[in-house]
Parts: sequence; C-alpha cells; structure tokens
Amino acid sequence: MALAQSTALKNKTKDEITYLRPVSNCTGCGDTKVSWSVHEGMRRFNRKLGLKGKDRYELIYAADRGCGNLQGYHAYGIVDAIFCMGSGAIVGDGIKESCSEKQIVVTASGDGAYNFNISGIKFAAKNKRFGAINVIYNNYNIRMTGGQIPLETDFDKEGPALGFDIIHVNPFRVDDNAELFKDLYDRYLKKEKVMVIADGVCVLDMGKDARNSGVKMGRMVRSEECLDLKFAKERERVAMEEPEKLKDLPRFKCRLCGIGLRCHALLNNDPRQCQACGSCLQFPCPANALSFEGISFSTSVSIPELIDK
Amino acid sequence: MEKDSVFNLGRMRLSGNQAIARGALEAGVRVTSAYPGAPISDLQGSFEQLAGNISKKNAFTNKVGEALERVGYQLAAHWGTTTNEDNSMALALGAVICKADYKKREFLTEQEWDLVYGDTVFAQDEEKRIPVGSRVMCSFKHLGGNTAADALRVAVNVVPYTGGLGLASGDDRQGTSSQTMQDNKVLYGFHIRIPTLELHSPRTAHSTVKNCYRLFEELGVPFAVVMNYDLSYREVSVDPVMALDMAANQRRKGFTRDPKHLVTIGPHIRAREHRYHSKLIPLFKTKIKENFEFLGNRMAAFGDKPKVMLVVNGPFREDFEMVHNDPTLRERLNRKYGDVLVMETDIVFPQPDSLFEELVSKHGIEKIYVFEEGYGRVIYLQLLDLVNQNQLDVKVFDRSIPYEPRIYERFSYIDHIMNI
Repeated sequence: MALAQSTALKNKTKDEITYLRPVSNCTGCGDTKVSWSVHEGMRRFNRKLGLKGKDRYELIYAADRGCGNLQGYHAYGIVDAIFCMGSGAIVGDGIKESCSEKQIVVTASGDGAYNFNISGIKFAAKNKRFGAINVIYNNYNIRMTGGQIPLETDFDKEGPALGFDIIHVNPFRVDDNAELFKDLYDRYLKKEKVMVIADGVCVLDMGKDARNSGVKMGRMVRSEECLDLKFAKERERVAMEEPEKLKDLPRFKCRLCGIGLRCHALLNNDPRQCQACGSCLQFPCPANALSFEGISFSTSVSIPELIDK
Repeated sequence: MEKDSVFNLGRMRLSGNQAIARGALEAGVRVTSAYPGAPISDLQGSFEQLAGNISKKNAFTNKVGEALERVGYQLAAHWGTTTNEDNSMALALGAVICKADYKKREFLTEQEWDLVYGDTVFAQDEEKRIPVGSRVMCSFKHLGGNTAADALRVAVNVVPYTGGLGLASGDDRQGTSSQTMQDNKVLYGFHIRIPTLELHSPRTAHSTVKNCYRLFEELGVPFAVVMNYDLSYREVSVDPVMALDMAANQRRKGFTRDPKHLVTIGPHIRAREHRYHSKLIPLFKTKIKENFEFLGNRMAAFGDKPKVMLVVNGPFREDFEMVHNDPTLRERLNRKYGDVLVMETDIVFPQPDSLFEELVSKHGIEKIYVFEEGYGRVIYLQLLDLVNQNQLDVKVFDRSIPYEPRIYERFSYIDHIMNI
C-alpha cells in the first residue's frame, strides 16, 4: 500500500514539474463554459429532485480528441474519459452498457470529430436502449486548434436526419445553459436523443470582429464583497502584523469563479485581461460579488446584434 | 444458480466462430460488439441471436439460448448499428472501462498487484482485490484491425482498465473473401503489443478463450485471439459440458472516476506507456510461463535426449496432434529430427522467454524450428531476439508459411513439418 501511495505522489509531482502549463483551453474559450454548465446542470437536477448523497444522479462526461481533450487534465475534474478521434459518442454508449442506472452519460465532440466519425454519432441516435446528450463544440469561427478548414456543418439539417433533437446554445450564457442541461437530464432518462450545438466559441476571434465593427465591449467588475478580495486584505494584515503566520495561510479563500470559468481576469483580479465573454454575469457567485459593465458576448455572438445593443 | 449454470449441449459440432462464442459465454461476457466480415461474422451472429436481436437459427444458439434464459444471463450485442470496426472497438472500450465490482486475486502476488493497480484509484484497497466490471468481446475480420487500430492502441494506454476485453480476429490469409491476406498477429503482437494467441482448433478454442479472460482480466490487459479462415468455419465435435461463469456475468455495474487513467492526453499517458513496455510486458511473460498449460499449451518429448525443439503454432499445431496417436508419424518425426522436444503452443505474443531459456539449458537444445502461419513470423522474430540478447548457443530456423493455403491446394501441415 505504501508503494501505491508513493507512486501516485511521485507522478503528481512529476506532472507539476514537467507540465507547468497543463493542456488547457484558452481563457475566452466557450468550450469550458459549456462543460461547466453540464456539471452545474447536474447539480441543479439533483437539487430539483431533492436527491442527496448516494441517491444523487452522477454525471459521466466522455469527450474525444480536439478541444474536448484540452479540458482533460485530471486536476480539472471536468472530463472522465477521452480516447481516440471521434470516439466520444460511441465510447459513451459503451459506458452506458456497463455503468449504473444512477449515472448519466454526456458525450462531447468537436465539429471535426463529428464529421470524422459521424457513424458513431449515428449509433448513439439509433441505440434504443439509452438516451443520448451529445454536445458539439462547433468551432466554425476559429478553424480549430490545428487551423483546419472549418467544416461549417449544417447541424439543423443533419441532426434531425440522424435522429437528434437539435438545440443551439450560446456557450457564454452559463446560467441559462445549466438550466437547459438540468432539463435535458430528465429527457435523457426518457431515452430521448438531444444534440447540443455550442456555437461561436472563441472570444478573441469574436472580439476582433467586434472591434473592427466599432463595438466597444464591456469589462468584468468584482465588488469588495468578493471572498478572495476580503481574504487578500486579511493576508496583507497578517503579512504586516504576524509575518511568521503567513506561510500557514492559504493563498485564496474561494476562487470558485476563476476555477469554474477558467477566467484569467478573475483569477488574477485584473479587468484588463477580460475578453468580455460575459460568463461572470451569470455565474452564481456565493457573495454576489460579480457584475459586468457594458455589453458582452453572453448577450449575443452575432456582431449586428451587438451593434444594435 | 451454480447448478443451473452447468448444462449439457449434447452431441454437437461447432465451428471455430461458435467455439469462440461459447468460450466468451462461459467466461460470463456481458457486452459484445463487432463489425461483420468473413470469416468472423458467425461469432457475433451467434451473440446477436442469443441476445434476441435476431431469431435463433441453429442448434447451438437454440440450445445455449434456452440455458441462458433459464439462468438469467445478461447479454447485450451490438452489430446492426456499429457501422465500422473502429466504432465497435470504441464501444467495447467504453463498456470495459467501467469497474465497480471486485474479485479476489487468482494469479497476481501482492507485489505484482502493486505494479498493475498501484497508481489507479483502486490503489487504496487493503485486500488488493481485482477491480472488475463487464467482460466484453469485440470481433472483426483481419482488415478490420486496420480500421480499429486507433481505438486498439488506446486500449493499451488505459491499462489496467481494459482488463476483461477480448478481441477475436478472423484472419482470411487465403484471400478468399478479402482484398489482402493480412497477418493480424503482426498488428496485435508487434504493433499493439497485447497478449495474442492463435487458436488451433474449434475443439479447444472455448476453454482457451475462457481461461484467457480469467488470466488477462487480472493482469488488466486486453487479449487477442486469432483464427484462420479454415478453422473459423470448420465444424468439429466438442466437449458437451458447458459451464457459465455467472458470477462474472452478474457483476455490479458502475463507472469509477479516474481521469488520470481514462483521459488519454500526454501528461497522463507518458509515464504509463514507458511502464507498459518496461514492466508490464515482462510481467505478462512471467504469467504466461506460470500458466502455460492453463492457457491450453503443452510440451511433448519424443525421445530421451532431444537436441532439437519444434515450436508448432496455429494450424500446424492442429495437424501435429496426429503424431500423438500415429506411430508411423512418430517414427517419421524421429527420423527427420532425431530425439525432439515439441512445444505445442497457441501463444504468439509475448513469448515466455524464461521458459525457452530453461528448456534450452536443461536439454542442451541446439536448434529450434518454428512453424507458424502468416508472413509476420512473429514467434520466430521473438525467439531470434531472445537468442541474440541472451547469447544462447542455439540456432533458430523459420519454417513458417506466409499465407493460408486454400483447400484445393491439398496442403498438409504435417507434411510440411515432416518433409521440409
């Protein structure tokens, strides 16, 4: 047993040293926002049903190669299984065969993986034994991490043809999306098939378009009620008055928003790093300390709409 | 339950495909996936009938189907909707990684258990039990292995979660119904590097498959069984008593979260890939040696002072069985090779190195002749490597044939052994 523990510890240390920047989505990427909503939706689903402890439903999140695996680093605890290209949906159906009835499987693919293995997606639609929630990161506007040509798939035509109900979401509307997923888990248990298309996922790209169109985007604002800001003041006081105790204090008190949304502006408390995605607008901050000034991409991912606002 | 799970098939002839299906059922396999293609289609066809997806069409599925129903056997079969081999393999991967039950250790010592399971979420188990879930069988023809190679290779990256996964490959080395005569032992053995066996007879295939599940599930690694075209279809009389492992079939279902293992990204897999090649494959070799006969292999000596050793595999092995019952053939064998030690083996990869070293030093073996089918020469190349690395004073000769002869070629494997 001692061997097992020391092995795990050693690997963890090696992880941290070797991979100072673990694979991760960019700050303003909508993919992580969707994943956050998927997890938050499950929490709300359990609350809605009044389930606690072992009675709760559990989320199994299976993704595949591409943007999905940027969220796969184990410390994030976002994704549970990532195997080969295009395998998200079909691996998810394999998991459904062997997981418990209290586990709900959500699968995720990029639009490239969707086209790579459309037959696997089709299998999920045709498999009558289980429901299916398949999230598609529709990267039509950033041409994927490898710069591949965008496929501009017409999901509104292809999805119903395969057997899916199609729902488009703005990834930055995390609160709305969490509510959506809360309802989708109900539909999953009724063996319905739903494909959630997360459109327009890069705020850098959208920001450029917005600037070129003369739209001035807003900025995140964090009030003095923020638990981390309060704690930072406490740390300052300890540093001044009792410096010997400083090493025993944690660096942060909450950080829920920064971790949940993967936002560098929130993590560093620096509004200049804000890309105006607007997720923080809807983030359920425990101290209600987050707000947003001006317009954000959570309002719309369409430039004409932003201009109108 | 246990009494019901043993039943008599009666007098029955089974093809190689049906024999593998029987072995999987006896092992308690719960999920099967496949993409059909000659010569392996009948394997999943049997599962489809037994799972109730299509009607039962032959004596085997009728008889076994009744028994499965009686004991409440759980079986899910996916054929109609898996649209290619990659999908069937990915589905099998998803089904096999769910581990929510335990079984006691049967083959591993505590130290070996640490090596296999020490960095998983199960490492805290004080009894060092084996985490288990659904046993899964995935099958496709030889060329399907190319389509499925992406998912196949990933199966190695998530060891030990893929323990309990069996792959069956129907190798059309005749080119009877395929565009090429690929030797999949190269794919599974040398490229994917998972335990690979070439089954030599429909008569014994079921017990080999069943025992492979028992051993390799505990080692946490998938295994592959390969059968050639002729053996896949040829029907022979079989042992009528069929015993189902219902404990394995009725295991608790559930997915246990371990993203460090089940998310295959660079930071997670690099250390494990190294460990697989440097630590786990040597462990597999040790376990294969320890369980050599358990996996259906045997040694036979013809004469008191053998200086020559034959390694007979696959269809060569099936024909070689005639030597045990035919004095004329034994005489021809001794005339050809003198006193001879014969390893009748299904193991293709990895070869149990230390067993060969022991045999060579114990008997003073000077020559080893390897008889295998297919262009891969997988056994021969491993033995050559062993001899070179350990500087053994023994010569290894390749006596393989690079393809499977068609029936009208009137090829006799035993003649090939005796006359070469």
